[in-house]
Amino acid sequence: MVKPIILCFGLVSCVFAQNAYERHCVECHKELPTSLQRMFMRYLLVYSGEENVKAGMKHYLKYPLKEISVMSDLFIDTYGIKEKTKLSDSEIDEALDIYWDKYKVFNKLK
Amino acid sequence: MLALKNKATNSLLRSEKKSLLRFLTLYVAMVIFLITLLSLFYYQSQEKLMLSDQRAMLTKYAYIQTRRLKVLHHFFPERVEYPRDPRFKSAIYDLEHMKIFSLLEDENVRFDAEEIYITNGHIHLVKMLDEFYLGTKYLVIEVKDSGAWRGEIWKNIITYGMVVFIFFMLFGLYLAKLFLKPMRDSIVLLDRFIKDTTHELNTPLSAILANIEMMDTDVMVEKNKTKLARINIAAKTVSVLYKDLTYLMLEEDQQNHDEEIEIKELIYNRVEYFSVLAQSKHIAYDLDLEESTIMMDRRKLTRVIDNLISNAIKYNKRNGTIGIRSREGLLVVWDTGIGIHEEKVPYIFDRYMRFNNSEGGFGIGLSIVKKIVDEYHISIEVDSKEGEGTKMVLRW
Repeated sequence: MVKPIILCFGLVSCVFAQNAYERHCVECHKELPTSLQRMFMRYLLVYSGEENVKAGMKHYLKYPLKEISVMSDLFIDTYGIKEKTKLSDSEIDEALDIYWDKYKVFNKLK
Repeated sequence: MLALKNKATNSLLRSEKKSLLRFLTLYVAMVIFLITLLSLFYYQSQEKLMLSDQRAMLTKYAYIQTRRLKVLHHFFPERVEYPRDPRFKSAIYDLEHMKIFSLLEDENVRFDAEEIYITNGHIHLVKMLDEFYLGTKYLVIEVKDSGAWRGEIWKNIITYGMVVFIFFMLFGLYLAKLFLKPMRDSIVLLDRFIKDTTHELNTPLSAILANIEMMDTDVMVEKNKTKLARINIAAKTVSVLYKDLTYLMLEEDQQNHDEEIEIKELIYNRVEYFSVLAQSKHIAYDLDLEESTIMMDRRKLTRVIDNLISNAIKYNKRNGTIGIRSREGLLVVWDTGIGIHEEKVPYIFDRYMRFNNSEGGFGIGLSIVKKIVDEYHISIEVDSKEGEGTKMVLRW
């Protein structure tokens, strides 16, 4: 009886220990052949600045369409477009902030 | 006669020079303004020309750097070394003007200005990219500005500026002379007329005065004596006026022949000269003269004393008194005449200024006095009360 409780507690604490980005993004994207880093670079290529990139990502998460995707046609044809997000705005913003901080180019060039 | 003519023309030229100077000052200011404006336009156009030359080269560098950024974008984050080039420095900025990376020596980047500009000894080309490699919206290419073009421009501005300035000045001088010629001709004509008239007055006036002196009054009837006295007075009045005019027109610029003059003797002489005038108004002299001398040009001192005595007679009352007092370094001439209002005293020495139109004259006498006493650093004080008289005090 004690063992399942500990296991359950461990699982819950493990889920809550992860941040919004890890909880909502990494889990699904790890199945895809393109890394989140490469996707980030594609967004940068199209949207440039931080605000613009985040706005572009947020819009796609909420209203995913093939026409506005930054990914190649081949990728879309193979993997399709994602489902409309069920996350709240604050959760999306939190995840995007972490995503931006993780992959941004600032202070990384030498 | 030739010397006289030259001197006359010179004295005339003074007013002409004044007009010429004023015109030229205005003209020079305008020419300098015009040249400055032209230089500014020339400088700007040359700067634009230089920048357009640079633009082609910097655009080529921007193209090269864009291709390198493209490669770096695809290999990021495995490769993080920003591409460098010995020919130029560069920087990348995102859509929000946030600096992604910079190698610029001058970080003062203008995003809203022109595509190419000069800043603190550097030339910047701000190129907007269509694809934002590494998020780059603005790629800035920087090269050093040697400033050699500026030296060349300044050399041209100074050289051509001087040539244009000299040309305009010569043209201005010609124009000014052209404009002033009618005025100059009129002045020369008027001046010559006044001089000739003054000169021609000398002979008849001298003849009149000499003949009056020579006339034997003992054999004359009383009626004729009175008439002769009137002629004498009139001739002497004209003589004083003539001498003032001669002094102004012909003698003023002559060199001084200073000598030690016995004032007492000179005053007796001049009082004697004006005695007929004084007698005509029954004016008495009150002379208090001590031995004193002054180092001065006799002509000029005579003009001073003549004008002071002549005025004292002219503006005196009938049966009035003229007082002359002389001491070492002091000469006082006073009268019991009509006087001048206190407010008008400061203008008493102005040329053509007359306070009483009942008497003749041009109002030049006291201006001559002032000019002469100023020349010899003699102070002159005027103490006048309307209806009581005037006192002139000279100190040296």
